[in-house]
Amino acid sequence: MAQTNNFPETRFELEIPDPLKTDEFILNMGPQHPSTHGVLRVLLKTDGEIVESATPYIGYLHRTFEKHAERMTWPQVVPYVDRMDYLASMNNSLGYALAVEKMMGLEVNERAQYLRIIVSELNRIASHLVFLGTYGLDVGAFTPFLYGFRERERIIDLFEEISGGRLLYNYIWIGGVAFDAPDGWLEKVNEFCDYFEPKIKEYNDLLTFNKIFIERTANVGVIPADLAINYGLSGPTLRGSGVNFDLRKNDPYCIYDRFDFNVCIGKGEQGTVGDSWDRYYVRIEEMVESAKIVRQAVNQIPDGDAKETVPRNVRVPAGEIYFRTETPRGELGYYIVSDGGKNPVRVKVRAPAFCNLSILPAVARGTMVADLVAILGSLDIVLGEIDR
Amino acid sequence: MREYFKNIYEAIVTILIGMGVTFRHLFVPSVTLQYPHEKLKLPERSRMKLFVNIDDCIGCRQCERACPVDCITIDTIKAGKDEDLGAASNGQKKRFHVTKFDIDMSLCCFCNLCTFPCPTECIYMTPEFDFATYDRNNLIFHFSNYTPEQVRELKEREAQQKAALANAKTGKKPEQK
Repeated sequence: MAQTNNFPETRFELEIPDPLKTDEFILNMGPQHPSTHGVLRVLLKTDGEIVESATPYIGYLHRTFEKHAERMTWPQVVPYVDRMDYLASMNNSLGYALAVEKMMGLEVNERAQYLRIIVSELNRIASHLVFLGTYGLDVGAFTPFLYGFRERERIIDLFEEISGGRLLYNYIWIGGVAFDAPDGWLEKVNEFCDYFEPKIKEYNDLLTFNKIFIERTANVGVIPADLAINYGLSGPTLRGSGVNFDLRKNDPYCIYDRFDFNVCIGKGEQGTVGDSWDRYYVRIEEMVESAKIVRQAVNQIPDGDAKETVPRNVRVPAGEIYFRTETPRGELGYYIVSDGGKNPVRVKVRAPAFCNLSILPAVARGTMVADLVAILGSLDIVLGEIDR
Repeated sequence: MREYFKNIYEAIVTILIGMGVTFRHLFVPSVTLQYPHEKLKLPERSRMKLFVNIDDCIGCRQCERACPVDCITIDTIKAGKDEDLGAASNGQKKRFHVTKFDIDMSLCCFCNLCTFPCPTECIYMTPEFDFATYDRNNLIFHFSNYTPEQVRELKEREAQQKAALANAKTGKKPEQK
């Protein structure tokens, strides 16, 4: 793990006279710190401005989701699943619904499947827009936040129209979706794509290629590909390190194999492969790809009754399953055990943000405190999912 | 030296590009809504406040069972044999006095699961969202039409019927022994 140091070894060999050497200082970053994206406490051991070790302490947002799921009926778990990663509820419930459907051996209606793809890709864009805004805030740029939320608002309006909820939708159900799209909704989605794609240039002008932003993020928090794989990273955080791995391509679920899109990986354009800027830029590019998928899905969507295959009583045969999907944060896995009863026996979640956060101690050593904020932001963690 | 000036040049140019984006927004009409005076019209599927059309409720308690957070409490008393409570608007016969139908909106998680199993579609979510109050008890909404006196009467009647039934049973049993 020694190679995770981002700075040359000579950095520690600064010629400081011994009497001036500062004492080790223990600093609590969080739980109420705006740059920790929720309630995360990071215990820093610092030598002056340089971080010697960073240990994340989690559990401040623990809501016993997994225990709750044991006394809920199968459909009642969906609102709870929504609340894990509250920035991408659709993607979370999609994973749960797909896992339970696979256990039941249920074939879902075509139209419902396309609606699922549309909403979950839109939600991926919305989630990445929040990342764009908050990451700008982390490194000191306030304006992109407003721009990101402007476009996100339009997506949320679309979701409100189709599902009724603005943040927690309970839209993707076991066996289908809760509602069919209202009249004119699909045209509105197309309009949104037309509106959204030129906005990417605006973000690039405002933030991505801003020299100050590049100075703050390029070559900061470099995660080499082998380290990323060893720590079980997934999603854009892994792809930022140059690893071409996307579950939508490598292990297609739902109907993702019908769409044509690229997997974006970090190329180290502004610095080293796997630095914070790469992780940031992968997400920007991914928004374009998601818009592409949404367009294709809107064009291909067949007619039909989206609620056709929703079962009145969900009966899941005894057994167990591990099912993984690609959420905006990475590989979300559900390990579900059923005994054939009304309730799941166990719903274990492999949260992507939880695994992504685990790399923080490895990359934090030797960085400045201000850079640590940039690294933490680039991992795009959501504490609701880490603590569950 | 060249690198130094190049960095300065890049920093200034990229900031100006960003400023240009901001500057263009001076000429875009404002989108701010003065909230309490003007309101957005929410789509009809908006899930805000729960509403129960109690005239249509048949007391089947399916919504109570569907709720994941148990925010709905329903008490029902069976109607007498010669009593006719009428029917719901879709023709379902009412067999229960719904003496209590309370929804605690402070517990509600707005998941909409209660509205789907309802056989008469009498419970639904409305786009009304501004129901904040100073007291938490004001968030418990009572939908039942029955006055406490009526409830007491019905309960007494039910207790009497039960007692009569129990008497009839116990009256028979000693004879068998």
